[in-house]
Amino acid sequence: MKNIILSSLILLFTANTFVVAETLPKGIIRMDAREAPALVLSDMDGNPFDLSKLKGHWVFVHFWASWCAPCRKEMPTIQATLREYEDSDLKFAIVNTAESEDAVFSFLGSIASELVPLMDTDGLVTERWQPRGLPSTFFVDPEGKLRYQALGGRAWNKGVYKKFLDQFK
Amino acid sequence: MTISLFKKRYLHPTGSLIDIGSLVLLLIFLLSLPVAPLIAAENKKDVYEDEEIYLRFVYRSAEQVAAFYEGRGFPKAAIERAVQTCYVTVILKNKSDDLLWFELDNWLFHQKGKTIERYKQAYWNKQWDELKLKQSYRSTFGWTLFPDTRDARPGESVSGNITLPMQTQPFSLTLNFARGEDRKGKTKMVKLNNIYCKDAVQK
Repeated sequence: MKNIILSSLILLFTANTFVVAETLPKGIIRMDAREAPALVLSDMDGNPFDLSKLKGHWVFVHFWASWCAPCRKEMPTIQATLREYEDSDLKFAIVNTAESEDAVFSFLGSIASELVPLMDTDGLVTERWQPRGLPSTFFVDPEGKLRYQALGGRAWNKGVYKKFLDQFK
Repeated sequence: MTISLFKKRYLHPTGSLIDIGSLVLLLIFLLSLPVAPLIAAENKKDVYEDEEIYLRFVYRSAEQVAAFYEGRGFPKAAIERAVQTCYVTVILKNKSDDLLWFELDNWLFHQKGKTIERYKQAYWNKQWDELKLKQSYRSTFGWTLFPDTRDARPGESVSGNITLPMQTQPFSLTLNFARGEDRKGKTKMVKLNNIYCKDAVQK
């Protein structure tokens, strides 16, 4: 009996950690499961955030800037996604790259006013993460390893991308 | 090796009209046209495209460059330094099913047999050091540049500015790409003419 419970627990843990589709939606690439760089920042309201405290959850780590045209298109879909997954196991870290609070506030005010991004004011955290461009999204697994990167922007709240996110709920 | 010319889009003027009926028909026709192609035609973007790659070049005026960085809060001195330069925004899309690797050091800008050295990140670091520019502005500027070296995945787009010393005459560009996971596939070469610096060029 003990063995059955133990096996079930191992299975459950493995399933929770690595539930991912074999085929990935267009624009999402598999990464080499290296350790995610540190991500310790404060959000626009001054609340501290530390990625390492989210071990045990999948984390959607997104880098953006107001001057990037695809970011403008994608940001409302991220807001909708955040709202939908608010009480789920999938956590979010939305990081603005190297902009002032004024620039971020006026940008988000017009397109995604509910978002309270993390402020990478000098851009050095973003540089450590080495995204392939802006916008860029990483998926960090429950063990803190980089599993996927989404290239460019997309509507996260629709079709195959929503299905992809549903795996991490 | 692929040698190609740009495919330029021009908006052709319509001819003169004879009667009211033709005028009405023409008006209905014009109103039914989508707006986007007209805007694209006015912008006269230079495009190169083959079965593997899409490349678009957008030439930035000093005014556009200044407005962009002013909008991001850059100090006046940094903007003054930035606008001394020729900006060519490159938008690249890998249309192939293979990895395409690019290294800007293997993209050769040349004019009448003479190489034009682009301004690299080290040049900009020196400028910003002299001005003691804040890290946030350096970071933003860096993100607006075309990456120095990278792979483009199938279907992936990469874009950014390439900066060069101002040129008063159009120049040529030879782009080299390595193919495959290990970069050992056959090299792709594209040669383009008539690249230029907006405002500075004497046509």
